[in-house]
Amino acid sequence: MDAELLSDTFVELADTMVADFDVIDFLHMLADRSVRLLAASAAGVVLADPRGQLRVAAASSEAAELMELFQLQNDQGPCLDCFRTGQPVTAADLAGPDPRWPRFAAAAVQAGFCGVEALPMRLRDQVIGALNLFSAPPGPLDLGDVRIAQALADVATIGLLQERNVRRSETAAEQLQAALNSRVVIEQAKGKLAERLGIEMDRAFGLLRDYSRDNNLRLTDVARSFVDSGVADFPPPGMPLPKPQHRAFG
Amino acid sequence: MASGRPEVVWGLVASHAAALHRRVSVADVCAVAVSSAQVSGVWVTAAVRGGPEFVMCVTDPICEQLAELQLVLGEGPCHDVLASAAPVLPSDLDHKQWARRWPGFTPEALRLGAAAAFAFPLLIGAISAGAMGLYRSSPGPLPGGRLGDGLILADAATMLLLDGGPRGVDSAASEGKTDGQSLDLAVHRAEIDQATGMLTGQLGVSAGEAFARLRAYAYAQDRRLADVASDIVARRLRLDPDAVQDGEP
Repeated sequence: MDAELLSDTFVELADTMVADFDVIDFLHMLADRSVRLLAASAAGVVLADPRGQLRVAAASSEAAELMELFQLQNDQGPCLDCFRTGQPVTAADLAGPDPRWPRFAAAAVQAGFCGVEALPMRLRDQVIGALNLFSAPPGPLDLGDVRIAQALADVATIGLLQERNVRRSETAAEQLQAALNSRVVIEQAKGKLAERLGIEMDRAFGLLRDYSRDNNLRLTDVARSFVDSGVADFPPPGMPLPKPQHRAFG
Repeated sequence: MASGRPEVVWGLVASHAAALHRRVSVADVCAVAVSSAQVSGVWVTAAVRGGPEFVMCVTDPICEQLAELQLVLGEGPCHDVLASAAPVLPSDLDHKQWARRWPGFTPEALRLGAAAAFAFPLLIGAISAGAMGLYRSSPGPLPGGRLGDGLILADAATMLLLDGGPRGVDSAASEGKTDGQSLDLAVHRAEIDQATGMLTGQLGVSAGEAFARLRAYAYAQDRRLADVASDIVARRLRLDPDAVQDGEP
């Protein structure tokens, strides 16, 4: 593991936790950096909704097959086991004989992934979600990498709670609902933009995210303004004014 | 994971309406919430797009007063939840933090007999339908495991408020049915939200109306909402304004 990449990653994540940061944008960045740091093929942050469902908050790719893999784990899979046990769960070779989660393993292999890992996002005695990593070739993360992966999962938890300062929430449960709703706003905006421009969902997400970063706006605010706007043009008129620059760089 | 819980909770709501021989409404959600959350009363305020907020239903007179108080003062837990898109769950209104946060609402709420209050936003992403409030005459948090049920009931109330609009499920439902559309939200799918966004463009309507039309279409076609959404996102299906009349293709 590249030590400089490791420290740069954590500095970057910490630097993003400014007063008006966006939790979905943050978790998306974390998933993306996890892939890079751990040489994974894909990563996602999955949250446990008290309604009784594991829901993906952010992932390194918007590909439908990957989204489906998160969805499948509501019935069986590493995230479900991780959520129930509060322990890291790993499967080194999903293509091997007698896989632990037959339906999930088949779908994962079909999508090109043979190795999977789920690290718990823990808050005191509660498991609020998981960092889910996929690798194309089989083989578990080595021990050093598992510790880094767990640290990233812990940072994801901190990021989720960080927005508390913005929202004046009292509990993690409130934060989690706000994050899940932000995700829905972003999905609605993706749909509206994809329809307007005739593009795929992942490109629509990229446009929304790039616009918010370029203008120092919160991703969720941009998404919400766009969905609420009576016109289909992007960016819509009346977009919130950019906030003053807080970051040291970027 | 208590998967399957949404169907159970919706079943309670549908049963409550069936026992009274009427269509499912927000009033049934409020009634079920009282026993589910073990509170003294539940109310729902609705906010129709662009219009003023109003009290939709209450289970007792104190609810009415707590709801009106927040509308008049422009402060309180129900007032905050729409801005924060998250529930607010003050389990003991006597704690100083609540009087600091809502200096007008808190002492008056306590005087009215609310020792604890819980508020849930009724929204789906950018679609906002109102708020659901609960109060209890004794302090204490929601019973363990009941936050999930509260969220599911809030979802049910949201659906019913949106469905009740001019192009919603109600207009697509056939005469004589008492249970109307099933919740069909047991599993949240991103495609449903994406399809909602796509329909704002295809139909030239607000997100709330787009969602209502999506549900009405699925209901009229007797198809699962997730499957219809999947077809729309994959561009196998379009709903055009000329073609869609009261939920028919």
